[in-house]
Amino acid sequence: MITITVNGQRHDIEADPNMPLLWVIRDILGLTGTKFGCGAAQCGACTVHLNGEAVRSCVTKINRAAGQNIVTIEGLSANNNHPLQLAWNEMSVPQCGYCQSGQLMSAAVLLRENPNPTDQDIDDAMSGNICRCGTYQRVRAAIHKAAAMQTEGVKS
Amino acid sequence: MKKLIIISCFLSIVGFVSLSFRSEKVINKNYPTLPKDSVGSTKAFMSVYKVLMSARCMNCHPSGNTPLQGDDSHLHTMNVTRGLDGHGVYSMRCSNCHQAENTAGLHMPPGNPKWGLPPANMRMVFQGRTPRELALQLLDPKQNGGRTKAQLIDHMANDALVGWAWHPGEGRTLPPMSRPAFAAQVRLWIAKGAYAPSAKIK
Amino acid sequence: METNALSRRNFLRVSGIAGSALCLGFYFPANAKKGELITVNTADLSGFEFNAWIRIDANGKVTLTDHRAEMGQGSFQSVPQIIAEELEVDLKDINVVFAQGDPVKYGSQITGGSSTIRGSYKKLLKLSATAREMLITAAANKWNVPASECYAGSGYVIHKPSGKKLHYGELVADASKLTPPKEVKLKDASAYKLIRKPLQRMDTPMKTNGEAIFGLDKKLPGMVYAVVERSPRLRGKVKSFDGSAALKVPGVKQVFKIQMMVFNTTRDGVVVIANSTWAAMQGRKALHVEWDESGFEHVNTADIYKAHEDLLKTKEGLSFKKQGDPDGILNKADKKIDVIYQTPYQAHAAMEPLNCIAHYQPDKIEIWGPIQAPDWVQGDITSKFKMPKGKVIVNMTFLGGGFGRKAFLDYTHEAVAISKEIGAPVQVVWTREDDIKQGPYRAGISYRGQGSVENGEISALKFKMAGQNIDHWNGPSRDKANNSTAEGFLKPYYDSIKNLSFADVPYEMPLPNMWWRSVYASTNGFAYESFMNEMAVLAGKDQLDFRRQYLKDERCQALISKMEEVSGWKSRKKNEGFGVAITECFETTVGQVVKVSRNAAGKVKIDKVWAVMDCGWYVNPDIITAQIEGSVVMALGAATIHEITFKDGLVEQHNFYDYLMPRMSDMPLVEVHIMENPADAGGVGEPGLPPFAPALTDAIYDLTGNRIRKLPFNMNAI
Repeated sequence: MITITVNGQRHDIEADPNMPLLWVIRDILGLTGTKFGCGAAQCGACTVHLNGEAVRSCVTKINRAAGQNIVTIEGLSANNNHPLQLAWNEMSVPQCGYCQSGQLMSAAVLLRENPNPTDQDIDDAMSGNICRCGTYQRVRAAIHKAAAMQTEGVKS
Repeated sequence: MKKLIIISCFLSIVGFVSLSFRSEKVINKNYPTLPKDSVGSTKAFMSVYKVLMSARCMNCHPSGNTPLQGDDSHLHTMNVTRGLDGHGVYSMRCSNCHQAENTAGLHMPPGNPKWGLPPANMRMVFQGRTPRELALQLLDPKQNGGRTKAQLIDHMANDALVGWAWHPGEGRTLPPMSRPAFAAQVRLWIAKGAYAPSAKIK
Repeated sequence: METNALSRRNFLRVSGIAGSALCLGFYFPANAKKGELITVNTADLSGFEFNAWIRIDANGKVTLTDHRAEMGQGSFQSVPQIIAEELEVDLKDINVVFAQGDPVKYGSQITGGSSTIRGSYKKLLKLSATAREMLITAAANKWNVPASECYAGSGYVIHKPSGKKLHYGELVADASKLTPPKEVKLKDASAYKLIRKPLQRMDTPMKTNGEAIFGLDKKLPGMVYAVVERSPRLRGKVKSFDGSAALKVPGVKQVFKIQMMVFNTTRDGVVVIANSTWAAMQGRKALHVEWDESGFEHVNTADIYKAHEDLLKTKEGLSFKKQGDPDGILNKADKKIDVIYQTPYQAHAAMEPLNCIAHYQPDKIEIWGPIQAPDWVQGDITSKFKMPKGKVIVNMTFLGGGFGRKAFLDYTHEAVAISKEIGAPVQVVWTREDDIKQGPYRAGISYRGQGSVENGEISALKFKMAGQNIDHWNGPSRDKANNSTAEGFLKPYYDSIKNLSFADVPYEMPLPNMWWRSVYASTNGFAYESFMNEMAVLAGKDQLDFRRQYLKDERCQALISKMEEVSGWKSRKKNEGFGVAITECFETTVGQVVKVSRNAAGKVKIDKVWAVMDCGWYVNPDIITAQIEGSVVMALGAATIHEITFKDGLVEQHNFYDYLMPRMSDMPLVEVHIMENPADAGGVGEPGLPPFAPALTDAIYDLTGNRIRKLPFNMNAI
């Protein structure tokens, strides 16, 4: 039995301790916003926050998450109103949308640690997330937009 | 408030960096010495150099800020960067993919609890260094993380992350000699006077 | 943030209505998840369906149907945007649902060939206007006023003189009894309120919080998971297998052999059934399968291209088009070029690996999945499993990318076959490696271009292609040139180049191949437009001026001027390389200008891409812009960093570590311009791809003098 906290909720999991967090989240907890893209930490579609870090859940065994805090895309905000989600909406970033949970979870760490990222910072933080539809230009613009929204929000 | 966050962020990074040094056992005891022998010392270093310049060691001691991958030491894909503490940046921290142990399977992320590059203020570049340059750099406490010769030997012989090179997981070639043989050559190099090879030796 | 019928609130409200026995336009099955798009089986519904796309209930709730797959290209937004325009409803007040596979109701549903809008917009405009007119007539009858005094807006019919108004919901019952008018007047484009506006996509909210349900996210009660170990070599057969170790893996329930049809060949596999995806994957690792490879062809990539080259040099091939006497002129010409271009095999590699849920029951088969062609799947499964008509139900989910791969029928058939074997609903999951290694692929094609110049003018052009032909899988007719031999090449060239020919040199090869975003234009475009750039050099002309000289039609002239203007073509600087290409694909013309320079380290980098699209009538300029941005990225990957190669019959690539993808740090700036003109709609999702590679290599030539004729090439090695 392994206990993990996902989006603030405690779960006692009966599973092979080697099972990647991705499959625990998807197949056992039924939270399907976190995606399977490569299974080899290459594409970032499975990115979740483990104690605030943007880990690739497809290679992170549930053992590593025991007793830890996990946030998935479903828990990024209460109302789809994280500045990134608002910016994503405003700029119609997603096309097929499959990689976007991962893009958002990565961008959220960037924005938390660097409230005003440069293009170089965005390259450095976001190049682990593949988008086959090629939404990169919009992801970049939306991160800048969210940064501005966040700054304005702090001021007001 | 913002300033405070930035300062505390900076402090935590500094703390992390110094912690990662402190976490290595500090060896105060002396190291074995032999009569000074520049030829023997240099010869031993050349063996050490071959190991350090093999993909398993050099890949995490790149000349730039991007680690290298594979037996061909190509730039790590996905624009991975060193970061201040050597453990990546933002959502691209090493441990986001590299676990505490190798992930099973070909081409899967290798792992170690300390996985990372040397920090930005102590980059310890191997790639592109000549034997002489690398020897002098390894011996210089200003460039080697403040290590004494004894600590240097200990690091090469006992450090767990260095040791990963000999347990690199499926599909990765090993350094050209075993770890004990490598450690013996390091000891011999230093015991015989820690000479740096002449600039002529490539 | 309303997500159109997909939030919990809507669910409850609708349930309440159902409880009071009022009609409704959609329903939630017991096992539906929040945020799931439910396809509508209208037989179970009351309410008035004006037609297959529009349903309005007595509360005025409007449900619009997207009859095409949503795989990123925006049908979920643009189809409703068209309907809402003429129906006079606000997008915020509607629900959008995906249609089930039903060609009788919807006509073709295959989401390919960039056909969603161009194939149905006229019909959609007309049927929406028809519904609106019926509602207006119903209101006029109720008020006993002339219909001409009434108009519709935001879901109401309004009587202009009195200001009286009735909600559509109040008119549904009466309107449903009317005979639809034969003729309706459509709006003039200048009166559009929704069409041509860059409206935000309605599917974004559910794609930013995990609610959108893709194929892999769908779950059914009692569903098990399957992965399949498929033959690593073409036509490999299972000689024997040992599943005993696999069966010991916790969660693994069953292991058995399965055989599939892939085109006219078979594909063997060993299936592992388990209670989770992970368990099935672990079970698969424990399998021991022996493959029988007798009769197997040991394909090597180098041999394929060698064969292409031999064919192009020794055979004239099957003529596709010929005008004038290009051979005679080429023979006599002094100033001429003769070059070969090569393009690679490519995998689709959509972010969502292939998957499908099937539930086989003796009296019906139900399927859920990321499916580009629900109507095709319905037909295929109905015939292969000998089901009565109407007993195969195909439900679409969101697609995590398609690019043509999910319009192929192998994975849906496989899922049904597995479900039949185990008698339970099953989700078959392909790993990334399966997705990359099994094909079918875009075929690698080689081209030979020969051309001559006299007095600065093109005197003759001769093109030949050699490569696999998709059509040969279904109806092999080896005596006819590939239908798409000249795909991508601009038709106005035919009017100005008097001596010209295209031929297809047949090349047969058993590798499974099929369409990939922009199909033959993706490879033809590279060869033909690269060649036009080489001809411009031979003629001593500026590449854009050269095209202006030969593409005389008005739309092309306007497009070229626009390219020149937006890219600052005339004020190019010395240290910059500029390249250009213009291609036609699915009735849309796209021109791109690419600018490159060297960075501090001396490496060539792409500074900017300007794309100008002429697609005629269009719906949402922001979606078009996004499609071109994305097409450039896909083209960049295919031109510079990935290809599928074969060694001794095995695919050499596995996953994104050796089938590399462009990433954020590789993304060039892309600036998109859309031409305004009254022409009919052309495609949008694919035409942005073909011109990129030839424009890029032309820019590299401009900067370095190095002409690249083989894709992919390494940008770092220039």
